[in-house]
Amino acid sequence: MIEKITPVRKSILANIRIQRFTPSEHKSAYFDNFKVSVETGMTVLEALRLIKNTQDSSLTFRAFCRSKICGSCAVRVNGKPVLACSTQLMPILEDFKKDSVSIQPLKNMPVLRDLVVDIEPVIEKLSKMHPYLMENRERIPETLEEESIMSKQEHSRFDYITDCILCGSCYSACSAASADPNYAGPLTLGKAYRFSADVRDSFQGERMQAAVDQGLWSCAQCRKCINVCPKDTRPAVSIQRMRKMSIDDGIHDTAGSRRAKAYTGDVAKYGQVNKPMLPVIVNGPKGWAAIEAAENYLKKHGIEPTLQVCTLGGQSSTQKIYDKVKELEAKGENKT
Amino acid sequence: MLTYDILIVGSGGAGLYAALESRMEEDLQVGVLTKVYPTRSHTGAAQGGVNAALANLDPTDTWQDHWFDTVKGSDYLADQDAAEIMTREAPMVVREMEHWGCPFSRTDEGKIAQRPFGGASKPRACFSADKVGHVMLHTLYEQGIRHGVNFLNEWQVLSLMHDGQRCQGVTAINTQTGRVHTIQAKAVILATGGHGRIYWTRTSNALGNTGDGTAIAYRAGLPIKDMEFIQFHPTGLRRTGILVSEGARGEGGFLLNGQGERFMSRYAPEKMELGPRDLVSRSCETEVREGRAGPEGEVFLDLTHLGRERILERLPQIRELCIEFEGVDPIEEPIPIKPTAHYSMGGIHTDLNGQTPIEGIYAAGEAGCVSVHGANRLGGNSLLDILIFGRRAGKHALEYARNNSFTPVDTGQEEADAKMIASIMEGESGASIADIRRSMGNLMAEKVGVYRNGKDLESAVSELADLQEQFKMVRIQDKTKAFNTELVAALELKNMLDLAEVVAVGALERNESRGAHTREDHPERDDENWLAHTMATLGDDGRPKLDFSPVTITEFEPKARTY
Repeated sequence: MIEKITPVRKSILANIRIQRFTPSEHKSAYFDNFKVSVETGMTVLEALRLIKNTQDSSLTFRAFCRSKICGSCAVRVNGKPVLACSTQLMPILEDFKKDSVSIQPLKNMPVLRDLVVDIEPVIEKLSKMHPYLMENRERIPETLEEESIMSKQEHSRFDYITDCILCGSCYSACSAASADPNYAGPLTLGKAYRFSADVRDSFQGERMQAAVDQGLWSCAQCRKCINVCPKDTRPAVSIQRMRKMSIDDGIHDTAGSRRAKAYTGDVAKYGQVNKPMLPVIVNGPKGWAAIEAAENYLKKHGIEPTLQVCTLGGQSSTQKIYDKVKELEAKGENKT
Repeated sequence: MLTYDILIVGSGGAGLYAALESRMEEDLQVGVLTKVYPTRSHTGAAQGGVNAALANLDPTDTWQDHWFDTVKGSDYLADQDAAEIMTREAPMVVREMEHWGCPFSRTDEGKIAQRPFGGASKPRACFSADKVGHVMLHTLYEQGIRHGVNFLNEWQVLSLMHDGQRCQGVTAINTQTGRVHTIQAKAVILATGGHGRIYWTRTSNALGNTGDGTAIAYRAGLPIKDMEFIQFHPTGLRRTGILVSEGARGEGGFLLNGQGERFMSRYAPEKMELGPRDLVSRSCETEVREGRAGPEGEVFLDLTHLGRERILERLPQIRELCIEFEGVDPIEEPIPIKPTAHYSMGGIHTDLNGQTPIEGIYAAGEAGCVSVHGANRLGGNSLLDILIFGRRAGKHALEYARNNSFTPVDTGQEEADAKMIASIMEGESGASIADIRRSMGNLMAEKVGVYRNGKDLESAVSELADLQEQFKMVRIQDKTKAFNTELVAALELKNMLDLAEVVAVGALERNESRGAHTREDHPERDDENWLAHTMATLGDDGRPKLDFSPVTITEFEPKARTY
């Protein structure tokens, strides 16, 4: 049946609050409000471009491909890092039941102007991570007459990370990066794992050391990076796998690897973590100073500290859970 | 003054391959100047594949088959010696990418996976899911870091300098600081991509595909070739021009006009929606022209009859794309679409090594024109072009830079460019960049688009001249030096206006229909008069001057192009 097509297109007059800052002119950042008629289909990027074209041409932001593959236009919308080009405005306005939305630059990087942040520090961290394949001559032929052979299963170990577009959303959301400016960040460690997991690579040791030096064990596994990644590259998962790989590689002399081993060892042994001993296990004898300080603090407040590990009843069930986790982990290694 | 042995302008596949090739032995200083960050480049947007006759899927495939497909697809305007080089070297460059770590999808035997593609007689497009351009771009960038290529990120090139015989270097502005610099270089490789943005919103291209390298080469007196050939893709989203891939029609999608009629029955009653790209684009355009469009000049790609289950199973990515970029769920309603400018076949004229008539100046990729695509490019050949000719330009520039010294450069150009920028920044009263740009895009889409005719083209040429006049007074509100994106937009617009004129003049001159160039008043291909490349140079009067040069035919005599 032939019927005339009449598309449903709504429109809401919305207030777009945008964080502004030009270092040479302003002491600190402030918000500007722009009234925009938001239509069905309009993305955050389209709204920014409309404002720049019709209201304030000095509004500064990055954008390039407009199709979710270049990573230029990452900003925070109502606090959450997103790609401006692939984020529809109408559903946000409808969800929040407000006619206002705020747009800010990414966090954890210095602002160059308005919504543009300096990503150079992150690129430098990435460069130090040896983020490239070094030919493993057992897998990669010397001649261009032949391909190297890599099975689908070998490819699938790292394929999910190759979707990363280096947009910086994860870096903005990362709690470890905001706590420690020297921490490499989720995207860089993800990229390091991508190559270390590639059977065609021969550079495992040095890259692993670079990852350890740049904070492989600083990640708090808060998984915010997983929530905000527009390409679903799961950096926290890569970091976990990279940690395991480093322990398997015999790098046991880092605070993080000692902590990890203490956790797993204690759970296996006692059914729970022997927390009072953790500072010593992680930091060596100087950890006793931390324990003493904690004891003194508790005593001061009238609490008697215990140095005993209380082993819980039902330890065997804990052991079962532990075994199950190990089993699942082994399976996980083999799936995509 | 900044100095590089080899300076590459542009950081897409062609630029990065050239950089890597010339830096491999780490004996020369190689810099890549880019207006974005390298991994933002538009190469990353290529989804489908890169052609190479590896014969991994079909053991009977040969590079000669690929060669013929390319020449036929080009409507016989490709130079056959260039197409021969490209197709013969294809397996080698694809393997080289693979050896550098490029994660191509795999066959069951663990080899590089291949798939069929439009216009190809055998399945030879090597792919990595739907992200092959992205993974190629990242691989080249990663290897560039490894070999110590320098990156000048967020710099905008201003002028190309030579002494009439040899390359001197370029001038460029560092966007982050707003300062103009001279960069001396023995060799410059222009790899700045295409100029689809002359159609402004009616293109699938990135916002920055403004033909900067092609424009500065043209202003520096170099010939630019076959500029009238622009490929249109039939199904770009209404708002953004972002592509809805052919897969949607392959799965049984209908094309409907505003009245809900399945209009392809008028144009290709047998093939219907699966006719070739140019025919489908022309059909959509005819519906709009004859007043049967939707409320905003769009037609519709309807998938609703396929049903929720089939869409979710077979076309999940296309559905996601429609929801994210157009706010339309194809399960619920038809997708509004318009034909969209997709690829620039023309560009800076080069020889088989990517060298221009000036020694030490090279061009590669979509910015260059060897020519391998002729009047119409085949899917999967653009990624191949950037690898092959990026590599050849890099190799040749390396030898050239090793064997030659720097050509003295005077700083007059830097001063002139700083003055030009100061004068743009003074503009207070004229039209805005957005206004001029919109007018340019609309007029190009209407008069120099899918359909062309002498009368419209003449009026386009004169309207473009008006816009160039308006540009001289363009209004700039942002007076800040550092990170002035309004200034960058003005510089890009200047480049686009120059190139749009060359495209329109070339289209007006070419009295035939060939490949992507369709003249309503000259509907047939005319090999007797027009089997020739259009060469445009900047005339003394500031207007393009056209010459024509013969097409190289070595193996395949021109025949009618039927599929």
